[in-house]
Amino acid sequence: MISPVNPIVVGSAVIYLALVTAVGIWAAGRTNSAKDFFIAGQNIGWIVTAFATMSAAFSGFVFMGGPGLMYSVGVASLFICIPVGFTSGLLCWVVGKRLRLLAGLKEIYTVPDIILCRYRSRRASGLAAVAVIIGTIGYLGAQLQALGILIEMVFGTRALLGELSLPAAMILGSVVVVFYATAGGMVAGVYTDVFQGLLMVVAAVLIFFYALRSGGGLEAMSRSIISSEAFGPNHLDPFGTLPVMTAVGFFFVFAVGLLGQPHMLHKFFMLKDPRTLKWMPLVIGLTQSACVLIWLGIGLAVPALVAQGRMAALANPDRAAPQFLLEFTPGILAGLVFAGVLAAIMSTADSFLNIGSAAIVRDLPKALGRQVRDELLWGRIAVVGLAVFSAVFAYFYKDLIALIGTFAFGTFAAALAPAVAIGLNWSRVGATAATASIATGMVVNLGLEFLSKQTIWEWLPSAPLKMGVLPAAVSLAASFTVLLALTWLSPASHKPDLDPDVDFVMNL
Amino acid sequence: MARRSALLFLGLASPAMLICSWSSGFIAELCFILLVMAFPAALITLAVARHGLGPLKVPLAGLIIILEVGGVTMLVLRGQVLEGPWFGAFPVAASIQIYGLWLGPLLLVALAYGLTFDRWELPEEDLRRFNARRSGSDGDNKE
Repeated sequence: MISPVNPIVVGSAVIYLALVTAVGIWAAGRTNSAKDFFIAGQNIGWIVTAFATMSAAFSGFVFMGGPGLMYSVGVASLFICIPVGFTSGLLCWVVGKRLRLLAGLKEIYTVPDIILCRYRSRRASGLAAVAVIIGTIGYLGAQLQALGILIEMVFGTRALLGELSLPAAMILGSVVVVFYATAGGMVAGVYTDVFQGLLMVVAAVLIFFYALRSGGGLEAMSRSIISSEAFGPNHLDPFGTLPVMTAVGFFFVFAVGLLGQPHMLHKFFMLKDPRTLKWMPLVIGLTQSACVLIWLGIGLAVPALVAQGRMAALANPDRAAPQFLLEFTPGILAGLVFAGVLAAIMSTADSFLNIGSAAIVRDLPKALGRQVRDELLWGRIAVVGLAVFSAVFAYFYKDLIALIGTFAFGTFAAALAPAVAIGLNWSRVGATAATASIATGMVVNLGLEFLSKQTIWEWLPSAPLKMGVLPAAVSLAASFTVLLALTWLSPASHKPDLDPDVDFVMNL
Repeated sequence: MARRSALLFLGLASPAMLICSWSSGFIAELCFILLVMAFPAALITLAVARHGLGPLKVPLAGLIIILEVGGVTMLVLRGQVLEGPWFGAFPVAASIQIYGLWLGPLLLVALAYGLTFDRWELPEEDLRRFNARRSGSDGDNKE
């Protein structure tokens, strides 16, 4: 069912899109070098960094994919987001300080830069860049798909354009995000992230309480869900609808795999003063937890309302959040939340456009022993190319937003987390182990994902996994295994030749 | 000692998780949960225990206990939504997931990081050495 266009919601969306466009124009005047474009001149305060980290991490995946997945599989889906209780501390302890200190001593803009600096291996760094590009296409695709679904619901384009509605809406959203990402680079990115982060927190908290009120309170919603035929008691059992291996696999990938997410690691390079790391876990943890309330609130309210007969069952679970907002919230609140959801999607999309373009114009050429002459210009061109490719990928991949996001998150996690997290904390890890670990994570994740999804070549075997086992969890564990095993198997006398600055930072 | 134990755990847990992924039954699920829930604390230990765990012993032990006990209890309570007790508007397993695994570690971990930062994570002496090195490297590398 397509709801009629709500002028307040449309107005909010238009104002929001105009505001971020204005930030892009403002930031364009402050982006004069590749350092400005890729790491905002390394001149960002901790509040801005914390909000930028939070809003880059939380995206259409959390704001639209989350409620959709919760509608489909119940509280088992929460295993994806509940690690936010401790992951900000994990991130800062395990890699945050060392990333920031290294970025103060060396020219480091990207995660492949860190790999190159730590292992002195162009092969490892090049592989990391390939992993970043592949993961970026998936993550960016999920954002652009979420953006398209949201825009077509806000502007009611489906009634007008039919099947062309989603691609048209994806193009409209992409044009705005590409504009401010190309014009203002990371300067635009981080300042829009702060505005977007604040909007996300306010929107999520308000909608959580409104969702509780709409569904009759938490307990009433829970009881409606478990007593309904459509959902039943398993919907509120953490291991009720998904196998344990899937649910706990989500937890593993989204907790530990966070250490390989370039859009989060990247933010540590921008921090002006390393001492301001002190309260970042608290700010990131609290703001992320506030945002997760939208997953929990709408994720419970929509099945409860369906169970109570007050809302029609959803044909596409990804429409849970927008459908709830359009049908059950007053225009002004829906407008605010739609702007918040747009913010969540666009802040992540612009981070990935920046990271992906850096991988294309800096990291890959560097790994091949070449250097692009005008990184700023080519960085901007790469942003456009990435956006087009990712949108096409997402449109034809045809999966739930949360599942495309899981694939992309898993790619980063499996390829990069062990080499970064263990490598920055154990000097014995050498380039061979890191290269093998990155290759293992990437190949196993892509291979398993491809075999489990492809239907074109019937002669190919399906993925050799037991039912419910996540490809991302298997590839992450395999990547850790390879890194640690190869390091232990290398002779103790064969200590890697560390860069003196890396050695210094690893011993602080 | 703590770092070695963490490395040993990580080295054994990773292949053990792969084995669990290709096994079935309650024991495999239990082992998978136990390994996954201890993994974050092992990584933190590897990163922070250069000179022992110091003031982080208690918060890290707290994190492990919350995650392990929470994970195992949810497994044991699987399938008992209708007959089991309720807490905080949810069946008890879901409330452990929401209030325990999500909200439980939130303040514990973030406050432990902030409150121990100046004397354990980045003490003044380390910062002074870093700034001195950075001043020396300004001409060579960057900035």
